[in-house]
Amino acid sequence: MARLLVQLKLRLLTNALRASRPARISFIISTVFAVLVAVGTFVVLALLRGSAAPVTQTAVVFTVFAFGWLILPLLVFGLDGTLDPATLALYPLRTRPLAVGLLAASATGAWPVANVIGLLGVTVGLARGPLGLLVAVVAVLLQVLFCIVLARFVTTGLAGMLRSRRGKDFAAFLIIPIFALYETFAQVVPRLAAEGKITTRAFEGIDRWLRWLPPGLAAHAIQDASDGHAGAALLRLGLLAAVILALGALWIRSLGRSLVTVDTSTQSSKVRSAALPFGRFGIGGTVAARFLLYQRREPGAIVRWCIIGVVMLAASVSTIRTPAYHVGLIISAVLAGIMLSVFQANTIGLTGPAFGLEASSLNGLRALRGYFAGHSVALAFIAVPLSLVLSVGLATFAGHPGDWFWGVAIDLCAIGAALGLSSLLSATTAYPVQKRVGSPVPNAADGYGSQAFAGGMGSLFGVLLISAPVILALIFTHGLADAVRIPLLVVCAAAYGAGLAWAGCYLAAVASVRRIPELCQDALRSKL
Amino acid sequence: MGEPAIVVRGLRKSFGTKEAVAGIDLEIAAGSFAGLVGPNGAGKTTSLSMMTGLLRPDAGQIVVDGKDVWADPPAAKAIMGVVPAEAQLFERLSGAELLEYAGRLRGMPASEARSRATQLLDVLDLAEDARRLVADYSTGMRKKAMLGCALIHNPAVLFLDEPLEGVDPVSADVIRRLLTRFVGSGSTVLFSSHVMELVEQVCDHVSIIDQGHIVATGTIDQVRGGKTLQQAFIDLVGSRATGEEGLTWLGSSSS
Repeated sequence: MARLLVQLKLRLLTNALRASRPARISFIISTVFAVLVAVGTFVVLALLRGSAAPVTQTAVVFTVFAFGWLILPLLVFGLDGTLDPATLALYPLRTRPLAVGLLAASATGAWPVANVIGLLGVTVGLARGPLGLLVAVVAVLLQVLFCIVLARFVTTGLAGMLRSRRGKDFAAFLIIPIFALYETFAQVVPRLAAEGKITTRAFEGIDRWLRWLPPGLAAHAIQDASDGHAGAALLRLGLLAAVILALGALWIRSLGRSLVTVDTSTQSSKVRSAALPFGRFGIGGTVAARFLLYQRREPGAIVRWCIIGVVMLAASVSTIRTPAYHVGLIISAVLAGIMLSVFQANTIGLTGPAFGLEASSLNGLRALRGYFAGHSVALAFIAVPLSLVLSVGLATFAGHPGDWFWGVAIDLCAIGAALGLSSLLSATTAYPVQKRVGSPVPNAADGYGSQAFAGGMGSLFGVLLISAPVILALIFTHGLADAVRIPLLVVCAAAYGAGLAWAGCYLAAVASVRRIPELCQDALRSKL
Repeated sequence: MGEPAIVVRGLRKSFGTKEAVAGIDLEIAAGSFAGLVGPNGAGKTTSLSMMTGLLRPDAGQIVVDGKDVWADPPAAKAIMGVVPAEAQLFERLSGAELLEYAGRLRGMPASEARSRATQLLDVLDLAEDARRLVADYSTGMRKKAMLGCALIHNPAVLFLDEPLEGVDPVSADVIRRLLTRFVGSGSTVLFSSHVMELVEQVCDHVSIIDQGHIVATGTIDQVRGGKTLQQAFIDLVGSRATGEEGLTWLGSSSS
């Protein structure tokens, strides 16, 4: 069974290589990343040799890897056909050989190998002497085995849920903390390290409780063996092995159960309201009502709004507490518009086959203007308050609450530009999208990457160019009294933004009025 | 035969080198329950998409209830309802919201759309699930919701693409009764299917399409010519099962 499942995994990997160009590229990128992680981790762990407390940092690295294995299956569930035990439920297989097979299949692939190679950096960084080396190799193998069993336990436990609509919705939200964590690492950690606020001493407190977690047991076993405490090292390895066995037993039990039970934790609930709002506002109000409900109910939409918020905050981090805080306020506000335009530049493709229902009533310029206006109003309903609150908050955090209008004026203009551009791009460069496993938001379908890229670039440069007059006005009106300057700038920026949004709706309606069947075909090809 | 509700002349569509619809002519009388049958890939969905203004034809004319679909799309779309084969629903709306949305898109006042939505959901046996998200509906419930969306503005002509595909017998019966009632009031239904028994049971007019051509059209009795419709269909499009001699092991329980 183990051999068969490993062969299946290898076949799936080679098929992915042959499937299509994008699949081949993503496979190659994934493999390159795995190699980079292997080499990087090896080097980082090896460099710990000679540091004050290498065991503490090693324990932190081991724990980070275990955390990664815990989170990743929730995001990439379905990417690996061998992950879901339900695909094997029809075959007459006993649970134990099935478990061993699934475990072996899990250990096959670039990432598990990269983990083993990377973590073997401890043989240089932490281990000393032949006994230390031997224990280091065993500890690394046990650590990777622990990670795999942990990931399997989580996946099997959640398999039913992750197959259901609500479970997938829940998994989509996990991208938000991960994205926020990434942004923190990318923006905050280098700065704190440069300022000397992150040192090896910062980890000392963590080790007190980390050493009793399975990854900490592995790291400390190596330390004990290197110090000549063979008994303590063996005891720690034994404890780790016992944890793996216990987790494995629990996993086998849950595997047996998950093959024959249906998940009931995600049964559908009813929506509160029975009617759509904005009944008096014609087709624009109707479309706005639907689109607003979608912003609340569709996980992808919520994820996009959260990403806009995180990007706004992260972009200002490096300057907001410095004398150049204006730069942070400007970048953050412009990025709100750019991100909104990038995310909404293909509204029709993102609507998917359901656009067919709307297309049957979109006849003539008036209806189409209403359609695009409905979208813009719904987006402005969320984008304006979100960006204004964050911009005012950033100005306050910078210690200059009186400069709130910098961000606000640019927000109003950039969001107007984003709404106008997204309407126009949706009407002129619509393309089908495809929801891929592991991604909470749909991406361009195969063969349409260049259109998506063009939309993204159009959004980036369009919003930047259109916002430039407001940025320049903010800079060059420095001599005016605040009582005149602030209302003038904010009102003009709001009027400019509203004008841009309206112009976008108008032009989009003109551009799409004779192309409804073609837009409809693009939308029908979307797979959501 | 009464006034034609659907007239199709010289309809053509190619995708690359493949000619999906190779010049079809069709005339369906008003008040008919008409079936368009054919094997998979015969051109049924492509033809219906062009007839409903969702796919631009390469050539040909389609007139629905006196309105030219491609010369005056707004007028034609206003009098037709469409139930596509693939679910084209807003998954994150509830059933009640979806039907109201469809009605309001058609220009109906919100209160009227809401009231018709409630009545339709009741008749379609979806009243209890009216506040559940469409994403949580079963296949049969989705088909019924799509039918509700297509009927809410009381169209003169209804186009349905495989309306009973994957639908359980109870839901199928609900759909069938509603459609029969709709036709009884003088409206016209054209639906595509490859289930001959169903077509034979409900239709008064049938057209058989194969490889983009209409190979037979007329009343059910004219087309089947004394045989069952299934037999007439197989005779016209040809049986394609071959190579069964090789499965000598099949049927023995000793694996």
